Amino acid sequence: MLELVAVLVSGLVTFVTRVVFLLDRRLRPPKRVVRYLPLIGPAVLAAIAVPGILAPRGELTWAESVPALVAAVVSWLLWRWSRQTWVGLLGGLVSWWGMLALLALLGVSR
Amino acid sequence: MDSDRLQAARGAAARDALLVVLSYIPFGLAAGAAMATTGVDPLLSIATSPVVFAGAAQLAAVQLLGAGAGIALIAATVAVINARHLLYSAALQPHLQSWSRPQRLLAAYLLADPVYALAAARFEKSDGGGTEREKRAYYFTAGVTCLVGWSALVTIGVLVGGFIPDWVPLELAIPLTFLLLALPLVRDLPGLIAGAVGGLAALAASGLPMGVSILVGAAAGIFAGALAMGHEEAARA
Repeated sequence: MLELVAVLVSGLVTFVTRVVFLLDRRLRPPKRVVRYLPLIGPAVLAAIAVPGILAPRGELTWAESVPALVAAVVSWLLWRWSRQTWVGLLGGLVSWWGMLALLALLGVSR
Repeated sequence: MDSDRLQAARGAAARDALLVVLSYIPFGLAAGAAMATTGVDPLLSIATSPVVFAGAAQLAAVQLLGAGAGIALIAATVAVINARHLLYSAALQPHLQSWSRPQRLLAAYLLADPVYALAAARFEKSDGGGTEREKRAYYFTAGVTCLVGWSALVTIGVLVGGFIPDWVPLELAIPLTFLLLALPLVRDLPGLIAGAVGGLAALAASGLPMGVSILVGAAAGIFAGALAMGHEEAARA
């Protein structure tokens, strides 16, 4: 019962973080702030993505970071060329696997 | 004509969201499998997907529950991990302000990371994502697709375990997806600076608890981007 309440409270807390500026039309971001709103997407999404790219398995080492960083660049180039997210994702993953396999063949340990 | 365009918006949303769900397969299965090891009732673990709908927070909440934590600690942890949603809510407010209140409340319930990213990329296009009805068709189709897909992945993970073998490295799938979700939102130099500084600051802060490092990155990125905007305007004036 307590566990169920904890899950419901977690859902409620999450909902509150999402609804703050959507609850009431009068509650809106201050005017001075509105022009900075387009920065939120790049800043937050990069804050999620970049640590996972530079340390994909939690370790920041050359053997871990360089292949993943190259894969990210491949992803970006493919996306720029095709404008298709799936092309970027697939190309990035495949190039990452290729580089990991190559490093394993060369005997580079992480 | 109108219904054709609505159908097209729904189709685009379903395609965009399905790709996100695909990239979440490793994390969704692994999160479900991790929840299954906690001793928390499997049905309750599965229920966290439709109730909370925020992967990292769900996993943390279930693990804390399994470790016997109290409700206050769990609520505080979830609040910290999910505080970034406050920013999403502010960023989408101008796009959703003409929607009815029930529509905005439902939109808030669905406002997970990828749903925000997909909606922002769509609504910030030059055509603004089409009419209000098309925007709603896109948003709710993308949101429900992510919700159903994510819930299915976690359910499979809880019931069957993470059956992807260890030798298939998939850790990069989610970071790459978020990179690809961020790219369409980078439209100018301040946006690029916000992303670069935000990402590196979050990496530098990665020793901090999950959620806090994202907030540190977000704050640093937005601040740096705002400085760049001010600088550009001063240069133009």
